[in-house]
Amino acid sequence: MAAIRTEKLRKEYKDTVAVDGLDLEIEEGELFSLLGVNGAGKTTTIKMLTTLTEPTSGDAFILGHSIKEDKKKIKEQIDVSMQQTAVARNLSVDENLEFYCRMRGKSKEETENIKKRTYQIFGLDKVAKKRTKQLSGGWQRKLSIALALAGEPKVLFLDEPTLGLDVIARRELWRAIESLKGKMTIVLTTHYMEEAEALSDRIGIMKDGKLLFVGDKTALFEKTKTSSVEDAFIKTVEEGV
Amino acid sequence: MKEASKRIFALTKRNLKEILREPVSLIFLLGLPLFLLVLFYYIFHNLTPQFEMQYLAPGIIAFSQAFLTLFVGLLMSMDRASAFLIRLYVTPAGSYEFIAGYMLAMLPVSLVQSVLFFITAGIIEPSFFSVNMIWGVLCSLITAMLYIGFGILFGSLCNEKAIGGIASIVISGQSVLSGMWFPLEGINKNVITVMNILPFRPSAQFIQHIVSGSDAVFDDIIKPLIIVLAYTVVITTAGILIYNVKMKRQ
Repeated sequence: MAAIRTEKLRKEYKDTVAVDGLDLEIEEGELFSLLGVNGAGKTTTIKMLTTLTEPTSGDAFILGHSIKEDKKKIKEQIDVSMQQTAVARNLSVDENLEFYCRMRGKSKEETENIKKRTYQIFGLDKVAKKRTKQLSGGWQRKLSIALALAGEPKVLFLDEPTLGLDVIARRELWRAIESLKGKMTIVLTTHYMEEAEALSDRIGIMKDGKLLFVGDKTALFEKTKTSSVEDAFIKTVEEGV
Repeated sequence: MKEASKRIFALTKRNLKEILREPVSLIFLLGLPLFLLVLFYYIFHNLTPQFEMQYLAPGIIAFSQAFLTLFVGLLMSMDRASAFLIRLYVTPAGSYEFIAGYMLAMLPVSLVQSVLFFITAGIIEPSFFSVNMIWGVLCSLITAMLYIGFGILFGSLCNEKAIGGIASIVISGQSVLSGMWFPLEGINKNVITVMNILPFRPSAQFIQHIVSGSDAVFDDIIKPLIIVLAYTVVITTAGILIYNVKMKRQ
């Protein structure tokens, strides 16, 4: 069964079509990168798949559940880390994790295990007792992504997770994301082509709400006759290859 | 239901920590009203009956509760503006759980306010201590719901930049229209009527009459209570409806 399947998914805002008849399948355990210039429809797609926004028409199925009909079942199995850091500013790192585990219905014992695991993946134990607002942007972003894992989702959406981070913090986050590969389905949107190249199993390229390409890197390079994701992306978006 | 109540408890705890860990909220919710209670009593209580402790302490409690509007509204609007609330919308929590989390977080704050101000009033004027004080503390939770309701409405409706201005209307309205700070003799009857129709004076009067143990139960207690409750229900319901609409528009 596909982890995510969309059927002619469409979203209109007044006179703008943000997503235009998206047909896509993402397999369980896959890390799928969705690329596109600003306004391509990536974030709107994520918002629809995470049940935050209703589609205008079409449907999508997350682990077999419709985003229109089975929102509650979907919410129990997914999580999202949006572009902006999403943490409780006056709570410590530890309290943030505890709070989010409670929101996800985890028991005390489960919460302790999740905290241990999260500290190990993201190295957050160094700042566990610090209030989030005292942390650097990099640590806050790490926590923000760590919270998305606290509910142990089967499908994780990461919307530009490394936006605004310095190169060291970005590489650390890559390692954290890489360690999750195969354990859950991950949908990643990013403007950093090297990020997509390093992490993805498959890539989708969107422009003006339409999906121009879906496939692995080899297929993308063959199709565009290029040797890097960045060149292939530019060629696909500019020339519609 | 059990899962929902656990989530409400988690939200309440988080909201309470967010508010109490901002020093400015402690200054306005507790420090400023406490300072005014002591200051006004010692300056004015021999000059005008308005500032005798039986009127002043309940009036200060109602005044301090108006700041609940500011801080609950501010927290809600900041949450709405950040991705934090979007993250929580992806959990199985429903909109009523979020609202309950904001409302319940403010009740312990209100409880601390009324206990602190009544005890301070009793220390300054020992004859003020009475069993009615306990009723006053409990009944002040009802009037607190009015100001929390305003906060829910403004927090759903406005962004964080607008909250300060809008909430200051409630705080000013509470100060001026409660009739706490000046004698009402000689004031235009129409103004008095407006003061009685709006919820600010009834909210202060309700606590005052509970504490003083008024015998005119209907006029002094039930009537202001009905006005306070009516405003609380209408304002909170409007806040919840607007919150739901905004949540769906995310």
